[in-house]
Amino acid sequence: MWATIQTQILAGLEGLKVGDMDFFQKILYLIAEYGPSYMRGAGSTLVIALVSTIIGCLIGLGVGIIQTIPLSKKDSILKKVIVYLCRAVMAVYVEVFRGTPMMVQAMFIYFGIPVVFGLFLPLWPTAFLVVSINTGAYMAETVRGGILSIDPGQTEGAKAIGMNHVQTMMNIILPQTLRNIMPQIGNNLIINIKDTCVLSVISVSELFLAHTKVAGAMYTFFESATITMVIYLTMTLVLSRLLRWMEKKMDGNDSYDLATTDTLAHTTGLYSYPGKGSNFDERHTEQSQDSNLLEDEMPKKSKKGREN
Amino acid sequence: MSNILEINHLSKTFGKNLVLKDIDFSVSHGSVISIIGASGSGKSTLLRCINLLETPTSGEILYHGDNIQSRNFNLTSYRGKVGMVFQSFNLFANMTVLENCIIGQCKVLGKGRKEAEEMARMYLDKVGMAPYINAKPRQISGGQKQRVAIARALAMEPELLLFDEPTSALDPQMVGEVLSVMRALAGEGLTMLVVTHEMAFARDVSSRVVFMKDGVICEEGEPDQIFNNPQKPETRDFLSRFRNG
Repeated sequence: MWATIQTQILAGLEGLKVGDMDFFQKILYLIAEYGPSYMRGAGSTLVIALVSTIIGCLIGLGVGIIQTIPLSKKDSILKKVIVYLCRAVMAVYVEVFRGTPMMVQAMFIYFGIPVVFGLFLPLWPTAFLVVSINTGAYMAETVRGGILSIDPGQTEGAKAIGMNHVQTMMNIILPQTLRNIMPQIGNNLIINIKDTCVLSVISVSELFLAHTKVAGAMYTFFESATITMVIYLTMTLVLSRLLRWMEKKMDGNDSYDLATTDTLAHTTGLYSYPGKGSNFDERHTEQSQDSNLLEDEMPKKSKKGREN
Repeated sequence: MSNILEINHLSKTFGKNLVLKDIDFSVSHGSVISIIGASGSGKSTLLRCINLLETPTSGEILYHGDNIQSRNFNLTSYRGKVGMVFQSFNLFANMTVLENCIIGQCKVLGKGRKEAEEMARMYLDKVGMAPYINAKPRQISGGQKQRVAIARALAMEPELLLFDEPTSALDPQMVGEVLSVMRALAGEGLTMLVVTHEMAFARDVSSRVVFMKDGVICEEGEPDQIFNNPQKPETRDFLSRFRNG
């Protein structure tokens, strides 16, 4: 399909030199000529942003959880030392990566580390690493805030029925935290989609690098930038809608079904339904009496009631 | 009657503020004890110390003779045995009513899901919340939340249930709902320790009334004696409004 579009566009523009084309013709020309390379760039951008946001969130979750571990006098010294040590390392991590530009970090890791430590990290892992640890540094604070924002009463409620810290976190606090920080995760994802463009400094072939190459080769900076912006905007719009939808899903139903006493008795095993067709099967006889009128409705209804 | 809890010389300070001063107190099996007193007199702090939600500054709390603050005391199973109902309900917002009553049984008592569910349904039925098992806490009223909270505590089959002003956040009708549940529980012989401002409840339901003032137990005795023949001027003063009104 792409091939036919391409040939049609090129046929329409036949005989024109790039320099003589107007704005829209140039855009069409660039799409026909470089469409696949834009798409490859967009694909890389999307993959880096998505994967790094997920890894970043996991890092942030870990850091946030460790930073909110409660310590009491009763805890052993070893536990205290380990927790404080972890917290110190994490505080440094958060401050350093939040406080320096991602572009500089990318260059530092890709060009600097091989020189200083003799440890060469390939291009793609570097790309994922840089964006992930950056996201992680921001998410750490978000997660910490999210955990602290959950009403401490719920923690007390969990403590009061004997649940320990891990159980409370896993079952009560983190599910709510995750829901509450979803908007911020979305923010980070969108920021990452745009900010992967700084990876072009270490020649990661993402969307922005595709744009620079095209713009440089054809002297069509403005037109290429338009295409690039439209692609970025499409990606961010689609993803922000998708995240909204996910939030809605996580919120669950606004209404709830009342459980009738009948189903309750049924599920607690205090009442067993009489066999179908037996003398005590009132429902079935009622049903067969009404069957002329409600043939379609009744069986459905009763079945639903039982499932509840 | 054996003592479930024995509290000896319990003190608690927040900073320089002495909230509980040398409390001596015991809870025997099957008793319903109401703790009354003005706000800030240390009633809630006493209850929270019993559950170790607050760490006492000094003194000891003995549960069947074991010090609950000692290092090898199994706090988790103790908390399973001593339930608590809070003023602000403290239901788990991410779970349905039914799950709220199941989670503790599964995670703390190690019960199977099915067994826990039956237990939860039974106690939810008891507090009249059985139809609402699929609701989330944000979808039900305050009185309903408190009844669920009571069912959640009961589902752990506690030996002693602590109530921390369970009706203070409710309107008069909801207060009635919750109190009638609590009356029924008291009638069944559940050991209860109730911090309350509901004087009628304290008078009619409890077997013993404790009046606290400024962090000390000012007077303690049978409800009849406390309400009709208080010995201390402070108690008389505190109850005068209730008795006249």
